[in-house]
Amino acid sequence: MMSWIIFSPEFYFLMMGTVFLCLSMVRRVRPEQVYFIALILASLGVGVCLACVRLTGDLFFGAYRIDLFSQVFKVMLSMGLFLVLCLCTELDGIEERFHPEFYFLLTICTLSMMMLVSSVHLLTIFVALELSSYSLYTLVFLRKGRERGIDAGIKYFLIGASASAMMLFGFALLYGSIQAAYLVEILKILPGILNRPVVIIALILLLSGFFFKLAVFPFHFWAPDVYESAANQVTTYIATASKVAAIAILMRIVALSGGGSTYLVHILVTLSIVSMTIGNLAAVVQKDLKRLLAYSSIAHAGYVLIGILSMNPAGYSGAIFYALSLLMMKFTCFLVVVKVADDGRNLDIEQLAGLHRRSPILAMALMLALFGLAGIPPTIGFTGKLLIFTAAMQKGYFTLVLIAMINVVISLYYYLLVVKAAYLLEPEKELPDLQVSPSIKVLAGLLIFGMVVGGIFPNYIIELSRAAAMVLL
Amino acid sequence: MPITYADFPYLSSILLSCVGGLLIILFIPKDKKDTIKQVSAVCSGITLLISVYLFFAYDKTQGGLQFVEKFQWIPSLGITYFNGADGFGLPMLLLTGIVFFTAVLTMWELQTRVKEFFALLFLLVAGVFGLFMSMDLFFIFIWYDVSLFPMYLLIAVWGSTRKEYAAMKLTLYLLAGSALILPAIIYLVVKSGLHTFDLVALMQPGTFSPFQQKFAFLLLYIGFGILAGVWPFHTWSPTGHVAAPTAVSMVHAGVLMKIGAFGVLRVAIFLCPEGWQYWAHLMALLAVIGIVYGVFVGLSQTDLKFVIGYSSVSHMGIVGLGLATVTVEGLNGAVFQMFAHGVMTALFFSSVGYIYDRTHTKAIADLGGLSRIMPVATGYLIVAALTGIGVPCLASFWAELTVFISSFKVYPIYGTLAVCALVVSALFILRVVQRTCYGPKNERFADLEDVSFRLGIPRMILVSIIVFFGLFPNVMLNMIQTASIPFISGLP
Repeated sequence: MMSWIIFSPEFYFLMMGTVFLCLSMVRRVRPEQVYFIALILASLGVGVCLACVRLTGDLFFGAYRIDLFSQVFKVMLSMGLFLVLCLCTELDGIEERFHPEFYFLLTICTLSMMMLVSSVHLLTIFVALELSSYSLYTLVFLRKGRERGIDAGIKYFLIGASASAMMLFGFALLYGSIQAAYLVEILKILPGILNRPVVIIALILLLSGFFFKLAVFPFHFWAPDVYESAANQVTTYIATASKVAAIAILMRIVALSGGGSTYLVHILVTLSIVSMTIGNLAAVVQKDLKRLLAYSSIAHAGYVLIGILSMNPAGYSGAIFYALSLLMMKFTCFLVVVKVADDGRNLDIEQLAGLHRRSPILAMALMLALFGLAGIPPTIGFTGKLLIFTAAMQKGYFTLVLIAMINVVISLYYYLLVVKAAYLLEPEKELPDLQVSPSIKVLAGLLIFGMVVGGIFPNYIIELSRAAAMVLL
Repeated sequence: MPITYADFPYLSSILLSCVGGLLIILFIPKDKKDTIKQVSAVCSGITLLISVYLFFAYDKTQGGLQFVEKFQWIPSLGITYFNGADGFGLPMLLLTGIVFFTAVLTMWELQTRVKEFFALLFLLVAGVFGLFMSMDLFFIFIWYDVSLFPMYLLIAVWGSTRKEYAAMKLTLYLLAGSALILPAIIYLVVKSGLHTFDLVALMQPGTFSPFQQKFAFLLLYIGFGILAGVWPFHTWSPTGHVAAPTAVSMVHAGVLMKIGAFGVLRVAIFLCPEGWQYWAHLMALLAVIGIVYGVFVGLSQTDLKFVIGYSSVSHMGIVGLGLATVTVEGLNGAVFQMFAHGVMTALFFSSVGYIYDRTHTKAIADLGGLSRIMPVATGYLIVAALTGIGVPCLASFWAELTVFISSFKVYPIYGTLAVCALVVSALFILRVVQRTCYGPKNERFADLEDVSFRLGIPRMILVSIIVFFGLFPNVMLNMIQTASIPFISGLP
């Protein structure tokens, strides 16, 4: 019985999901009440995950592992859920009668991602990944004003389904060639036979499922449309929590190859360069802020890959750190999107005009987050990039780092355009000050604080992510 | 290099008064414009006082790094908080203090978005101070970027003449520089195998192979050189200067461009001395092209600020030429020129800014006969112009002389070209002075006020510093020598 304590975060979120499932069947519950329950439960969830950070153990015949790596990511995921729920006070993008379902799906999605980061067996990985994907497909559909949501939802679903199919094929090939499905066993056999073509193909196919989640080229086509068409809160969730989970599982799988084969590294390098270049170049011409952030996600997927493909402790810990920094910075951007587009509409960059007067704190948070995404010190985004680039340099990938830095300069251009809109442009007709509740102001203040402190005193987070990365090797 | 630890954290207090000033300004309500300006003046005054004190308290007989503060910052990455001042850093700290204080006073009349302006200015200057005192590569890079990104807003919000274009161009150029610097820094740190960003530890001879030095030096030279206005990466600088508001032009041309040259010296030359010797000829060539090019392009400008912008390119070329000689005199002259040019352009932009605020034009053709309308204001302009030409008894003269003497020894042809360019620069600057200050007076401006005593204070400070170091150049040269002689004699 005692050993089940280590499963408590998952239990907790399962319970939470059940609560919303029941609420969705009760017709007489007000949206504010549902929201309140959701917020309380989610904040408790963060506490549960934090309490379980140091637990370790195996479950389900060794197919499910609890270690520092998985627990750190569970904390990030629960934080992601909590932060997204903080934005749901005016859930205008989603019809009122679907609110309990919305919370239900969000919780289940978080639960499945938590299972994903703990999975160490090919089957559990697949089950967890599909569960999270299906919750997200449905969440995208839920957008008010049907056509939009359905269009993007179907695109998302089709690309996702084909990525899953490729991943299954990869599983089959891998299992066929080494007759093992436990990652521990694979880890023992794989580095020795890594130069066999079939294994390389199997790994690439297998990774494509996670590339889809992370929106890495060539599985990135869904991102701009889905970001644009889903409700703002759902987009926030996809851009933050779901990316964190994808980074985690990608690291688990890539770590299997040990030192890595040159083929695999070359493929990852190519994907990384193409992703960041495509993402950054396409983002330059975007008018819709959510689309812009979608392309910037694609670019950031490329940066994260640099840390992962370095395949050394510094690279993995850098990627973990980067996941956390992305969570904070992307969330801050979406906080501004949700608050400025207070009726749940999509937000053009130009509609940020006059933000520095309408809400100074949101404007400042947005500016810091964008500079962080561009990797300008002293923000958490810079520290993440420094860690990743140092790791790549240790492996001697100088050109890769140089290309990434050139990309950083390109990205700065469009981030500056957004900053310009918030600080320079004046709206055509006078707009009233934004009504920002004190709690949101506190949240924005905390995010600013976190982003700056993460840039100036990152020592504790670096140590933690290093300890978490050591588990992988 | 001998290291003397500080008994009091002087260097950190400079940073602290910048950051503290920034925080205080953020908490003052934005309608209390006078309070904001007073707080800014006090905080920038403190930085000036500390930097003056440090300049004279530095023990020249002992030399080396003094006032050192050092403790672990991020042990897991080998990053230390390591500040120190030597003969190269102190003139720059003094320059920053002077320019910052006078820039704040120059902006006393600002009325739009005062709070944000001074907050960003403080952030900018904190980065500049930090870079000049830091001895840790990680912090040098951080301060470099901290001093850059406020520029975008400062120019784009408060600037003039194609401000958004200029701001974007400037930011992207300078960030492109940092895109070369960061990989080079990481490359050096990783290749050293020492697991530290500590500059003093990394500059031990033999840490890097000759190839690594040549490779990294080139990246660092171009990266920092963009900010130093090295030809052909200078094009951001005239447009940026022209668009920026007066105080920002002052800080920018006066101090920020020096960051680039100082970065070349502190990071590239300190870490890769063999790379320096290998690429010295290229540096000299680019520097001379910059000197000549700046002068000739300046000849054809019709906008007052563009004239100063291109003369800056030319003057920064002199710094580059000094650095390229690989001699004690060259280094002395280069650092002295950084200082002198900083004070000189600050005065130049400050006086032009005054004229522009009154006449609302920077076009040389529209001005004329100003010396009869505002004799004091044009007086400052003329002093700045004479300093720019290198008239004896003014600070720039000694700096340029030292550089030219050393460059004649090492690169006779380039030295000759540079001196000839200087003659042309006298022509174009004097022509500008003649057309704006003398000649028929433009009746539109006939009843404009002259500089009041209060507004004149910052300009007077700048003029007196130019004259002081023009009369007593040894005060500065002796200081720089404490760093340059040991450095050159320590070269392999």
